Amino acid sequence: MARHEYPWKRRPGWWLRNPRYLAFQLREAGGVVCALYGLLLLNLLMQLREGESAYVAFLTMLRTPPVLYLNGVLFGLVLWHAISWFMLIGKAQPVQLTRKPLPWKAVFGINVVLWLGVSGAVVYLTFGWI
Amino acid sequence: MAEQDVVFRVTRYRPVPGGRPTFQDYGLPFRNDMVVLDGLNYIKDHLDPTLTFRWSCRMGICGSCGANINGQPSLTCETFIRDVSRGVVTVEPLSNFPILKDLVVDFDDFLNKLASVKPYIVRKDWGDWTKEYTQYPEDLEAYRQQSLCINCMLCYAACPVVGTSPEFIGPAASALALRYIRDSRDEGADARLARLNTKNGVWECTFVGECSVVCPKDVDPAAAIQTLKVLATMRHLRRLLMPASR
Amino acid sequence: MERTTHDIVVVGGGAAGLRAAIAAAEADPDLTIALVSKVYPMRSHTVSAEGGTAAVLRDYDSFELHALDTIKGSDFLADQDAVEFFVARCPEEIIRLEHWGCPWSRDPDGRVSQRAFGGMSVKRTVYAADKVGFHILHTLFQTSMKYPQIHRFDESFVTSLIVDGGACTGVVAMDLRSGSMVAIAAKATILATGGCGRVYEFTTNGFIKTGDGMALAYRAGVPLKDMEMVQFHPTCLPGTGILITEAARGEGGYLINKDGERYMQRYLPGKMELGPRDILSRAMIEEIKAGRAFEGPYGPYLGLDVRHLGAKKINERIPMVRELVQKYMGLDPIHEPIPVRPGQHYMMGGVSTNMKGETSLPGLYAVGETACVSINGANRLGSNSLSECLVFGTATGLAAAGFAKRRPSYPRGAAAREALRKEEARVFDGLLGRERGKETLAGIRVEMQQLMERDVGIFRDESGLADACANLARLRDRFGAIGLADKDRVFNTELTGVLELDLMLDVAATIAHSARERRESRGAHSRTDHPQRDDANYLKHTLAFRTDGAPRIDYAPVTITKWQPAERKY
Repeated sequence: MARHEYPWKRRPGWWLRNPRYLAFQLREAGGVVCALYGLLLLNLLMQLREGESAYVAFLTMLRTPPVLYLNGVLFGLVLWHAISWFMLIGKAQPVQLTRKPLPWKAVFGINVVLWLGVSGAVVYLTFGWI
Repeated sequence: MAEQDVVFRVTRYRPVPGGRPTFQDYGLPFRNDMVVLDGLNYIKDHLDPTLTFRWSCRMGICGSCGANINGQPSLTCETFIRDVSRGVVTVEPLSNFPILKDLVVDFDDFLNKLASVKPYIVRKDWGDWTKEYTQYPEDLEAYRQQSLCINCMLCYAACPVVGTSPEFIGPAASALALRYIRDSRDEGADARLARLNTKNGVWECTFVGECSVVCPKDVDPAAAIQTLKVLATMRHLRRLLMPASR
Repeated sequence: MERTTHDIVVVGGGAAGLRAAIAAAEADPDLTIALVSKVYPMRSHTVSAEGGTAAVLRDYDSFELHALDTIKGSDFLADQDAVEFFVARCPEEIIRLEHWGCPWSRDPDGRVSQRAFGGMSVKRTVYAADKVGFHILHTLFQTSMKYPQIHRFDESFVTSLIVDGGACTGVVAMDLRSGSMVAIAAKATILATGGCGRVYEFTTNGFIKTGDGMALAYRAGVPLKDMEMVQFHPTCLPGTGILITEAARGEGGYLINKDGERYMQRYLPGKMELGPRDILSRAMIEEIKAGRAFEGPYGPYLGLDVRHLGAKKINERIPMVRELVQKYMGLDPIHEPIPVRPGQHYMMGGVSTNMKGETSLPGLYAVGETACVSINGANRLGSNSLSECLVFGTATGLAAAGFAKRRPSYPRGAAAREALRKEEARVFDGLLGRERGKETLAGIRVEMQQLMERDVGIFRDESGLADACANLARLRDRFGAIGLADKDRVFNTELTGVLELDLMLDVAATIAHSARERRESRGAHSRTDHPQRDDANYLKHTLAFRTDGAPRIDYAPVTITKWQPAERKY
């Protein structure tokens, strides 16, 4: 007698039904956004090469309210991407430098401190002290 | 003990050509210390003998009774009705597996994946059969967590990647591969890492982490897979840079 | 696929079945071995064993001492030549499993650890935290994947043996997933289906322990030995019956009554909580009868107190005990005593075999809890059962391999075909075709379980046993009026439930009749009307043979080598 198995079918919106799946999808979306930021910076350099008027026009466009709001949302996603990855590093610890795995909150904390430190250094180099 | 009422909304599926899964509602009484499995057995014994589900030990060690309870992969023998009932408890078969009948799914695929990681001690020289190999408590601790896997498949049901890429080796098979790699008595790491360092090995994993959340035995397969990624990469680099060490 | 032929067919995928299959595969790589199990092997009930497995590994121990402990524990009903064979082979099995990767708990010097256990004079129980059965089963199952000549038939329910020309030549099984019957012909058949705890209402056993192999052998004319010897484990959780391992006492736990008293000083001051299980279970019933027990929603219970062991020792040595108690009783054993009461746990009795697992039917073997060699006699010591599965699993696998090798030709195809047709008619036309009658599967099963609990429990007497025998016969008649609602052939668990009930009714009858005819008290078999041990009349094994009516009871002698039966004092 042939087997009549019913193949599993994924239901649309599966990632909305579980807060952890949603967090995962946002994290992954954040990765795409990071790539877009990279393209934006590349475009910035290209406009710079075009000349001062092109560069200033690009910056002006970036300062318009819709683009600022959009950047705010995208910055939030990038932040979430970074924070969720720092949380995961603690949970996996594939490279063990200590005898027993460290508690993940400690690893998370260390990474956040390093991140803020590097970010602070970049801000200083770019803008001087605020 | 006081009795309350609950409705179990259970997936029914009869394996006939053109068959489709449907839901069937059963009203039943429950006491505070009853688990979902007790409810299913009540239905089978008193309401509908055709309801079909797997179970055996009823103490969370045999791994038979996995199901999606209110959408969450769980063991029916460990899930208390009082914890999941909001009047209705939805009981469906584990996600990502083909349905055989009602709550029974086909997971033969997992057993093939498990066999592919050589889940046994591999050694060239077995040495003395009259004396145990020396293994210190800290050596045992290195793989103890991964050795606790009861093959319940909740992790496969929780993993979205298993749903889209059925050839992905998956959490439990990876955890058991790591269990043997980390066992101080084993010498088979190379062959296992070769198997895992493939497209449908560990690299399909995007670290969603849900497998470790649902695991009833705290095996932490997500951590095991990331560790395997590092080990597989290191092995690959070693072979690339030092071909003589092969 | 309707028929298939192998050299050996193993029925049951637990520790004994897997060990036998591996032993046969290693004996001769040309042998084909079918491993047929009604569940996937890692679901076998071996998985729930907790405490440990015994072997003589250290200088402070000896085979002599392990044998003496076992024979005394058995209340001198064990066959001493088999016990001597057994204890001598436990160490090599432990080492073999260790080499195969079993994660035994270790001493600081890297050697395998051993703990104290009930009835054992010295610490000889090897353990793996408190999940020894889980680790042994998974080690064996995963190791069995190394042998391509072991072909697994997962979720295939064996419904009958094939008997041809006075020998067993294979089995007929129902493949649950395709819903069709298959005849598996083989030169040798090994039954390793475990015990039959589910004939009782309150048992540690999982759902699948329905005595299938015992009943199959019984129906083929093989006697069941010492079936009245049923072990009740003293520490089970009330309500669920979940086992709390003897290791909790091995590590130092106390048993207390409602006055907080370590009541075992009244019954067994020499051994206290580490006495043999039959004595402890009886003591609990006495405490309950004397009104010194706690009262709970599931009746009276006693306390297992491990608080004084401390959190560190509990989490290291008995972590699963803590998990189970927290989950199912809602309390933490670090802070409160564990509620416990006695429950059915193990069958000392089973298919009568010799030390090589051979039964009276050529070609048919039995091993593990299914079999009765007997090394456990009237009471089994904790941690001897897993060792028994390993030692006799090897011995039986080797014996079956030798038997198969010596036979050049495979069994007749005609006999397998005929058996297949017969079973298809009996199961599909006969059982499955029945319309729903006035009896239900659950109704008859629960009645059987309740009467066994009441009349064939820890304490028995003539009138209770007579009632049990009569009521079981009546249930057997009423079984004929069960009809099935599920008419599918595919994965029909109502049908398998009815098949299991059919087998259980046979096995339950052998227990009740064997108990009734043994008019003495020995080991786990306690008669309130015959409270003394009677070596003059009953130093012998009970044999139950199938007839068209009640089982025919006969007897066989006990083999005594070095240890003359003495009073069983601890």
